[in-house]
Amino acid sequence: MKQLTIVALVLVLFGCKSKNNENDIANQIHKEWYGNWVGDFDAEEYKQESDYVSRTKVNIRIISINKNGTVIGQSIVAGNKRALKGSFDEGSDKFILKEPGNNKYDGVFEFVIIGDSLVGSWVANNKNLDVVKRSFRLVQKQFVYNKMLMLPTNLDEGGSYVDYTKGVDTTFTENEDDSTYTYTERMYRVATDAVKTINASTKELKEADLKNLKKLDLEIIRNTIYARHGFTFGKKSVRQFFDFVEWYVPISDNVESQLTPLEVKNIALLKRFEKYAEDNYDTFGR
Amino acid sequence: MIRLTLQYVPFSSEVAFLRIKQTEVLMVRWYLPIFYVHVYSSIFVLLAGFTQFSTAILKTYKSLHRNAGKLYAIVVLLFAAPSGIFMGCYANGAWHSKVSFVGLGIIWWLFTGKAMLAIWRRQFIVHEKMMVRSFTLALSAITLRAWKVIIVYSFDTAPMDTYQIIAWLGWVPNLLIAEYYLHRKFK
Repeated sequence: MKQLTIVALVLVLFGCKSKNNENDIANQIHKEWYGNWVGDFDAEEYKQESDYVSRTKVNIRIISINKNGTVIGQSIVAGNKRALKGSFDEGSDKFILKEPGNNKYDGVFEFVIIGDSLVGSWVANNKNLDVVKRSFRLVQKQFVYNKMLMLPTNLDEGGSYVDYTKGVDTTFTENEDDSTYTYTERMYRVATDAVKTINASTKELKEADLKNLKKLDLEIIRNTIYARHGFTFGKKSVRQFFDFVEWYVPISDNVESQLTPLEVKNIALLKRFEKYAEDNYDTFGR
Repeated sequence: MIRLTLQYVPFSSEVAFLRIKQTEVLMVRWYLPIFYVHVYSSIFVLLAGFTQFSTAILKTYKSLHRNAGKLYAIVVLLFAAPSGIFMGCYANGAWHSKVSFVGLGIIWWLFTGKAMLAIWRRQFIVHEKMMVRSFTLALSAITLRAWKVIIVYSFDTAPMDTYQIIAWLGWVPNLLIAEYYLHRKFK
């Protein structure tokens, strides 16, 4: 009898669920808008004193729009994946989507879709943040994992990737005729061209491939694997390289299960070398 | 100095320098044991060696000089130099560094061996000359690492480019200074 009750209960639950799903699917509208909308997330209102007003990349993912006006989605920004819930008003074509509100950086998105762009703004719940309002104009992008993708090789200035987030003030002394003068310059880490040629998603890396690379090279090569999988980076020092890459679509804050066995292997090797570089590069020792 | 050795205590196959030597650790059967012979024996070489150039010790504690000298010679000839030559064959930085380290190991062994032969034959001056050269090369353990810090801070070079430079800079200038010193002393 007990078993029978459970079976009946399961059947009822199952029945409800599938019926709900059918209803949901039947009531979905504007399916052409579902998916990832990606682009720059520009700071519009911010505290003047904060030293670094960042532009970053945002992905507003529309999961479903119901006939009754309820919308479900996700926002993916700078290492943060947040659920979105809100409304779509058929008359004004306006979306208002809210992040859950339990994270310091949560806020409210308002936007419209015009032609092939999604245009709007985001306002932070917390008015004490460095950036309280951002604007965006996004285009729809499909995420497809492609192991061949590489960082762009055509860079304008100097042609190298530079870590502008970690500068070290260095004092130089120069002698000219009989006067000596000193000046201070901010020095940045510069990556070598290896970051444009070594693909850690397609090639099994050997120690010999990595020995002459600097820590920044190793970091970029490793993070390019994650970028291919659409991982959203939290650190500014990583975002600076990937946010402006055309093919990069942040879709997830955890891609560990998506990594191929080759990538897992290469990541372990790269990390070992990063650790070595950190401990040993400029210290007394080998 | 002792810290150079202590970073490899307790035994682990992937700390510090070994982090980038896993190919050798896994593929070359004797690499890891010989690496440890080198790391642990070198500390005795440096400690024993530092006592040997004091005339005061030599005159008042003759037996200390003899015993420390024997320890130095045995450790260098049987352990530190042969293990160094072996590891030199697998050195980072391709043939530039390999030639340097293997060469360093061979002449270190030869100077030390000649110094021992000389003292058995009571040739004190030859003994002293050879020992100055031998210990100068032993000190490359320290000068090589010091050069590395200087090079990296001055030129921000890539790791293996640095390594190829310090492979030579670690001991060749030492030897030149030693030769100059000996030339002045025994001219």
